Order: sequence, then structure tokens, then C-alpha cells
Amino acid sequence: MRMYEKYMIMTRGFKNVRRDGEVEGFQFNIRTTYYRGVYLAIIGGIEVSVDGENFQPGQIRVAFGGRDFTLDEMAREETARWPFGDPATVTVLKKGGLRPGIHEISVTQVIKPAYMPARGFVANAQKRITVVQ
Amino acid sequence: MKTAGQLKRGVSLYSYQEEYYTRAMTLEDCLAEVAAIGAEGVELLPEQMVPGFPNPSQAWVDEWFRLLEKYHLKPACLDTFVDTTWGGHREMSTDEAVQTLVTHMKLADRLGFRAIRPTTGPVPDAAVDMIQQVLPYAEKYDVKVAVEIHAPTLLRSRFIDTYLELIAKTGTRHFGFTPDMGLFCRTIPRILIEHFQRQGVDPAIMDFVNSAVLARRPQDEIGAGVGKMGGRDVDQTYGFMANYYYQPDNDPKDISIIAPYVYNIHGKFYEMTENMIEPNIPYDLIVPALIDAGCTGYINSEFEGQRLTQDAFETDSCEQVRRHHLMMAKLLGEA
Repeated sequence: MRMYEKYMIMTRGFKNVRRDGEVEGFQFNIRTTYYRGVYLAIIGGIEVSVDGENFQPGQIRVAFGGRDFTLDEMAREETARWPFGDPATVTVLKKGGLRPGIHEISVTQVIKPAYMPARGFVANAQKRITVVQ
Repeated sequence: MKTAGQLKRGVSLYSYQEEYYTRAMTLEDCLAEVAAIGAEGVELLPEQMVPGFPNPSQAWVDEWFRLLEKYHLKPACLDTFVDTTWGGHREMSTDEAVQTLVTHMKLADRLGFRAIRPTTGPVPDAAVDMIQQVLPYAEKYDVKVAVEIHAPTLLRSRFIDTYLELIAKTGTRHFGFTPDMGLFCRTIPRILIEHFQRQGVDPAIMDFVNSAVLARRPQDEIGAGVGKMGGRDVDQTYGFMANYYYQPDNDPKDISIIAPYVYNIHGKFYEMTENMIEPNIPYDLIVPALIDAGCTGYINSEFEGQRLTQDAFETDSCEQVRRHHLMMAKLLGEA
């Protein structure tokens, strides 16, 4: 287990999200697996799977301070930051969302500071948490 | 023997990062704890604990100074980062990197810090161009640039000589060093070994790596050996990390090479035992060497064990820093 992995996936906030009465996906909160806040471009990637189902980068949105970004937008973002210890909200677009019950969420997070040019800090965490609605 | 003189105790709030991250401690809690152990210097990573970085509100800055006064603390050094590769998306120009450092100096000045420790590219590369262009701003804002000398750098090396030549050539009083005491790590730390045992490193591979590292075999040979034994990623990572932590080639007395230009000291430690000893880093040799070399300013505790133990144990950063300070107080000859 690497730095802050045990804290990355948070239980609070895990839920399905609806738009116009339809469940368009689900969301949950994560914290950084690095020891400082960074500009969003320094985040080398966020990968999500639930119960073994991998999601495509295009299905993922991440909100920092209430502002939604696609992964492509994050890669270009040199002003907005992810503060140290602040939750970011990951939304996964998946029609119908997740059924009520326990789910195994797996997240890989990569942070790429300049002094770690090759792979960066790669962290992966799993957590079994319950979605109610 | 010289007395401790101008060398004083401080804390890098980096030490309390885990409790700050989980919101178990606020910035004020951190500063109150520094005061409670009789330390005076405060080192800060603004990207950890300054909301709105790099431009905090004036209200936050006012509160920062109120807290420093309340707890009788002094700003020692602001630790900043220049992510010159933008996460691998594009390369910063030197000018852009310089302007980023200027932003950090302005922030340091606003918060009362007279030194910054910038971390830029890969550790072994000296950033001479960038530093030269930054110097006029360092003078303008009266903020010293104290680059970190961090493992695996050697004190007797081209890296250090390059910067010493720059200082000699320019005559600057605004550029120098932040040596990190991990430079003198004399073991493969127990907490590193136990961490990788929990991660499932093959015991035979661990024995091989430990012997090879202690015998000073080169990294590529260690990696090849791990590969031949059927090592997986985690085994290779251990082979790299064990070699990275173990630093027998720096002699504490060699701190004299850079002493006139030491503007900040990272009191790095991985573990403090109940006997008030850091079993990996020989502070009993280091502190006298710093005093003999005439180093001044703060030696700021920098606890970094949490990342190797938090998977299995509760972190108590305050207790670890307290033990480090009791040890340092004795070595500094405090009554």
C-alpha cells in the first residue's frame, strides 16, 4: 500500500445521480494520494472500476471545488487546483447507475510531479461501500 | 568544542501532514504543537496548508501572522515546487519556471519567510540557468533560494560543485542550500523492510537485495538480480527503494563543504524509538558536525515515516516529532 491509499476512497457521498428523472450514473468522493495539492494538469490519470467493470475515460467527470472537469480538460488545466486533503467528486456516466447494495470500487490515481518524470506516484485502492439510492 | 550558538530547533509542518489531511489537526493545532515542544522555527509547504495557493486571501495572511505572534514562532522556510513538466503534458520554458519561482517568492515575502526551498526537476539535475535568472528577484524580495540537497545526492559531487561555482561567480548572498539529513541514512530502515514484507516481497529476494545494497552493488545489477529470481513489480520496487534510502557515502563532517551557504536544514527522520533514537540517521554525529561547521538557523524536523507505516498502524506525528525534539534539545546542549 502506498502513500494515502487507505484514505483515497471515501464512503460519504456515494450515490446514484439523476438528470431529468433518469439515473445517468453514480458518484463518490476521493482524496489525493500525494502529500500536497496540485494543479489539475499534474494529475496523471484517474481510472475507475466497480465490481470488475472498467469504465472508459470519456465516462468520467471529476469535480474540484464544485467545478466539473473531463479527464481531457484536467490534463490541460493549469490554474484550478486540487487542494491537499479536500475531497474531489468522481462521477461515472453509466445509465441506470448502480443497484442498491454493496459494491467494490477500485480507483487508480497517478500524480506526476516534475521530479518523478517516468511513472509518477501511482496509487490504487479498493473499498467495499454501500449505495442506498 | 563549539556551542550550539545559532543553531535552533524548528518543525516542518510537513511532519503533521497526515493529521492535517484527515482534518484531525488544523493549521493552528500544528502551530500550537510546535510551540508546546519549545520549538521556534516553522517550515511550511504552502501547497499543503495555504488555502488559495499561490494567492491566499489577505484575511488568511492576517490570521497567519496572528498565529505566529500568539505562539511566538518564526517563519523559517517556505517549501515550493515547480512542476516543470506539467504532469508530462508539456515542458515549461525556463522563463515560465522563473516566473513561477517569483510567484513563490512573493508569497514567501507576504508570509514573512526569508527563504524558499524550490523543488524542480529530477533530483540529480542542477538547475543553473533557472537559478541565475531568479537571483535578481531573490535580491529584490530579499528571499533566499535554498535548493534541497536530498538523497541520493552526494555532498562531494559535481551537483554541489556546480552550485558552489555559481555562488563564487556571482557573489550572491541569496542562493544556497537546504541539506536534508536523509543524506546520512546509515541503514535500510526497519520500517521500509517491514512495509515491503507486508506488501509481499519474496523473502529470498529481500535477502538478496539487502545484501547487495549493503555491499554497494549498482542499481542496475540489483534490478537484474531481482529479475533473474523471478521478481515482480513489488520486488523491483523494493530493490530500488532499499538502495535509495541507504546512503553510507556522505560523511556528516562533509556538511562543512556547503556550511556557509546553508540557509535551512531538513531534520529528516523516519522513526523515533522510545529511547529517543533515530535508528537510521546518526543525529549524534550530525548535530555536532552541523555545529562545528558553523551552521546557523533552524534545523526543522521533517517526519516522513508515516508513508511507510500508515497502511498498518495509526500515525501519531506529534509523538514522533516530540521524540525528535527531545533528542535534538539534548544534542544542542539545551538545559
